[in-house]
Amino acid sequence: MTHPITVFVARKIVTMNPSNPEGTHVAVRDGKVLGVGTLQEVAGWGEYTLDATFADKVLVPGMIEVHAHAMEGLTGLFSYQGYFDRMAPDGRRLPGLRSIDAVLADLRRIDATMADPTEPLLTVGFDPIYFPGERLHKGHLDSVSSTRPIFLLHASSHLGTVNSAMLARHDITRDCLTIGVAKGDDGEPTGELQEMSAMALAQSALVPFMKAATGEECLWGFGRMARQVGVTCVTDLASQVLLNPAALGRWQRIVNDPEFPSRVALYSLPAMPGASADFGSVAAAIKRMQAEEATEKLRFPGVKFVLDGSIQGWTAAMNWPGYYTGSDHGQLLTIPEQLVDWLRPFHDAGINVHMHCNGEATIDVAIDAVEAVLKDVAWLDHRHTVQHSQLTNQAHFRRMKALGMCANLFANHIWYWGDQHYELTVGPERANRMEPCATAKRVGVPFSLHSDANVTPLGPLHLMWCAVNRTTPSGRVLGEQEKITAYDALWAVTQDAAYQMHLDGELGSIECGKYADFAVLDASPLDVAPMAIKDIAVWGTVVGGVAYEAAVTR
Amino acid sequence: MSEPAQPPIPVTVIGGYLGAGKTTLVNHLLRNANGLRIAVLVNDFGALQIDADLIEAADGDTISLANGCICCSLAGGLVEAMLGILDRPQPPEWVVIETSGVSDPVAAAQYAHLPGFRLDGVIVVADAETVRRRSIDRHVGRHVLQQLRGADLLLLNKTDLITTDQRNDLRQWLADIAPDSRVVETVGARLPVAALLGGSHVAFDRQSHDEHFDAHRTWSFSDAHAIDGGRFRATVAALPASIVRGKGVLHLVEQPEVAHVFQLVGARWSIVRGSPWVPADRVTRLVLIGLPDHSDHSDHSDVEAVDRMLQELHVDRERSDPLDEELV
Ligand SMILES: Nc1nc2c(ncn2[C@@H]2O[C@H](COP(=O)(O)OP(=O)(O)O)[C@@H](O)[C@H]2O)c(=O)[nH]1
Ligand SMILES: [Mg+2]
Ligand SMILES: [Zn+2]
Ligand SMILES: [Zn+2]
Repeated sequence: MTHPITVFVARKIVTMNPSNPEGTHVAVRDGKVLGVGTLQEVAGWGEYTLDATFADKVLVPGMIEVHAHAMEGLTGLFSYQGYFDRMAPDGRRLPGLRSIDAVLADLRRIDATMADPTEPLLTVGFDPIYFPGERLHKGHLDSVSSTRPIFLLHASSHLGTVNSAMLARHDITRDCLTIGVAKGDDGEPTGELQEMSAMALAQSALVPFMKAATGEECLWGFGRMARQVGVTCVTDLASQVLLNPAALGRWQRIVNDPEFPSRVALYSLPAMPGASADFGSVAAAIKRMQAEEATEKLRFPGVKFVLDGSIQGWTAAMNWPGYYTGSDHGQLLTIPEQLVDWLRPFHDAGINVHMHCNGEATIDVAIDAVEAVLKDVAWLDHRHTVQHSQLTNQAHFRRMKALGMCANLFANHIWYWGDQHYELTVGPERANRMEPCATAKRVGVPFSLHSDANVTPLGPLHLMWCAVNRTTPSGRVLGEQEKITAYDALWAVTQDAAYQMHLDGELGSIECGKYADFAVLDASPLDVAPMAIKDIAVWGTVVGGVAYEAAVTR
Repeated sequence: MSEPAQPPIPVTVIGGYLGAGKTTLVNHLLRNANGLRIAVLVNDFGALQIDADLIEAADGDTISLANGCICCSLAGGLVEAMLGILDRPQPPEWVVIETSGVSDPVAAAQYAHLPGFRLDGVIVVADAETVRRRSIDRHVGRHVLQQLRGADLLLLNKTDLITTDQRNDLRQWLADIAPDSRVVETVGARLPVAALLGGSHVAFDRQSHDEHFDAHRTWSFSDAHAIDGGRFRATVAALPASIVRGKGVLHLVEQPEVAHVFQLVGARWSIVRGSPWVPADRVTRLVLIGLPDHSDHSDHSDVEAVDRMLQELHVDRERSDPLDEELV
C-alpha cells in the first residue's frame, strides 16, 4: 500500500517550532507533517504531489480553543440580538444591535416573517449591561406583538425577558410564587424572568432551545464554526458524555465523519449515571474513554469543574475588598475541602483537571486544592488548569508556577466587557490587570487564551488581538503593562493551548511528527499591524492534511 | 392546557452545609415512606449515597428502590429532571431535592413552582457541632448563613455531639440570625416523617415503630360550618413554634363556595384558593403536627394552648350559620 505525499506550498509557513520557525513548503503523509522548509528540504521524502492551493496564503499551526461550548454551534439557528456583530457557522454575518429600539425593530422584522401568529419567537444574545439607562420589560416587547409570545434569552443565559402574550400563555401572573418572576410596583410581572427556575415557566420557548442545544445540527455547527476562524481543535469544556451514552455516540459519529472539519476535545463534567457515581468510577470511565473511544479526531483529555460564577454577573467569588460597585452575589460552587476530595481520584489516576475560576477567592481555592493533592501524589506533570483565571495576580501565578499549573485567560473580556469592568465590576486598577498575560509570561506559567464560546464568539485571531492591544470599545487601553507580543499570543493559542491538554506532542506547531493541522490565513499575524490581527481573512483550515474551506462570509 | 388537572406534586427541598446530615435525612425519609412514592433529586455531583439495602436497580441516571421510590442525579439540570418526572408513566407522589453543600436551597426551591408541582417547604439541616464555626469561615460563611436564613424548618442535627449549655447558646444564636425559621433538634436527622410529609400518607398513631424519633403529637380538627378566615389566619400566626407541620382544606365564611387549601411547614404557611366544593364535602378538615419543643419546658402548656386555639375556631358558629345557609 502506498502512502501518498502531498507538499503544500505557501507564501509563508509560520511553524511556532522555535528551532525551525519558518518555511515555504510542508510535506504531509498520513495526515502528519514530514517536514517544513524549502521545496528542496522537503522533497527528499519521496514522490509527492505539489498542492498550490495556498501559494499566496500564510499557514500557521491550526489554532486550538481550550475553552468553548458546543452550544456555539447553535449560532444563527435562533435569531441573534447581541450588541456586537457575530458570524454564523455558514458564514452569515449577524449584525449587532446597538439600541433597544434596534432590538425592537429587529423583532418586528422577524415577527413579520413568521406565518403562524401564535408561534413563539425566541432570540438569543441580548445583553442589558450595554444599555444601563433603560431596563427592557414586557411593555417594549408588547409593542412588537400582543399575540405572538416573545422570549429574549439574554447573553448571560441567566435572564430572559418576555412579553404579555408569553406571560398569558403560561399563566405567569401576579400570583406566581417563583421569586425570579420580577414584579413591578403594581405587583404585576414586568416580563423579566430571572434564573432558569423562572425562565423554565415559559416552556414553549425554552424547551425547543434546550432540545436544539443537544442536537446534531448544533455539533455540526460547532465544527463548522471552528473552520471559519482557523481552529483545528476545539474543546467542549462541559461535556455530558459521561452522563449520557447517547451523547458519546453522537459525538463519535459526527466528529469522526471525514466531512467534520475539526478535532474535538471533550472535558466531561464529573457526572455519571446510576448509583455508583463516585468520582473514582468517573475517573475510571474517563480512563476507559481515553483508551477505547478516543480517535485521531476525538479526545477525552480530562475533567472540568465549575467553581464559581462570573464577574460581569457579580457572582464570581472575590477577596477583599470585593466588587467596585453593585452588590456582591459571589458564590463558590464547591466547598474548599470537598474540592480536594473531588480532585484526588482524577489527579491520582493521571487525569488533567480544568477548573472554572473567575474570582480571586476561587483561584485561591483551586490552587490550594491542587497543592493538597500534590502533597500526597507527586504527579508533577499534571498541567491542571485554572480556566478564565481573569483576576489572577502575581502571587497566584507564582504558586501556580511552583505547582506546575496552567492558566487559560479569557482575553475576549477586554473587548466585550472591559469598559464595564473598569467602570462597574472591579474598578480601574484590577480591570487593568485582568487577563494578565504579561504577568503569566513573566512568572513562567504556560497560558492560553479562550473565548468561552458561545459566551463570546469563537475566534483565536480576535483573542490574540485582545491580548496584544488590550483595547476596549470606548477606546481605552486596559492595562498597557499586560500587553504581550503577537508571537506570544500566537504561541498561547497553539503551543500552550495544546500543552494544557497534554496534546503538545501531537498538535500546536507545524513540525515533523505532528498532525498536519493548519490555519490558512491571508497574512501572518506576526507581520500585520497589531490592530489588524483580528481582521486577517481566514481561508479555512487543514486538519490532518485535509483542507476545509470556510464558507464565504456574507 | 385542556389536560385533566392532576393535583400538583409537593416538593420538599433539603439544604444545609456539607456533612450536616442531608443525605441521612433523605435515607430516613425513604426508609419511612410508608408506601408513598418519593422521587429524590440530588443536586450535587458525586455519589448519590442512598443506603445500599434500599436500592433495587440502577438504570441510566435513575435508581429504583424496592419501595417504589426513585433517586435521580441532576447533572443534566433541574428543569430537565423535573419535566422528566412529570413524563414518567407513574409520576411520584412527592419530590425531595437534596441540594449541594454550598447552594442556596431557596434558589432550588423556585423550581418547585414549575407547573405540575408545588413547593411544600425548605428544610435546612445544620450540624450542631460545627455550624457556628462554619458560619464565619472565610470562604463559605456567607453561604452557611444564607442557608440558615432560608429555612422554613431548621433541623439542628447532631445534638448528640454537644452539651446542654452549648445547645442553649446555639438556640439563642439561631434565634438571632434566623428569626424566621422554626428549629427542631434531631439526632441522625430522625424527624418524625409526618412532620415532613404531612398527614395524609403516614400513620398518625404514636405507637410508631421508633419511639425515639416519632415522638410527635397531632391535632385533628373538623367543622362542617364555615370558619372565619381572618380568625383562622390569626390563629395560625399565633401557633407555638413547636407546631412544625399543618395541612388541611378550609371552608371559609368569606368564600364558602370554594375549598381553600392550607399548608404549613415550619414558619411558612399559605392558604390557597382551591376548586369549588362538592356540596356534600363542605367540611373544614385540619391536621397539625407538633414536636416536643426542647427550647423551653412548656410542652405541656403548648398542648393546651393549641387545644384551646382550635376550640375557639368553632366559636363563630352562630354568626356564620345564617350566612352559610344564605349561600346554599
Ligand atoms: N454524631 C452524629 N452523626 C451524624 C448525625 N446525623 C448524621 N451523622 C453523620 O454525619 C455524616 C454526614 O451525613 P450526611 O447525611 O452524608 O451529610 P450531608 O453532606 O448533609 O448529606 C454521616 O457520616 C452521618 O452518618 C447525628 O445526628 N449525629
Ligand atoms: Mg449528601
Ligand atoms: Zn466557565
Ligand atoms: Zn465556559
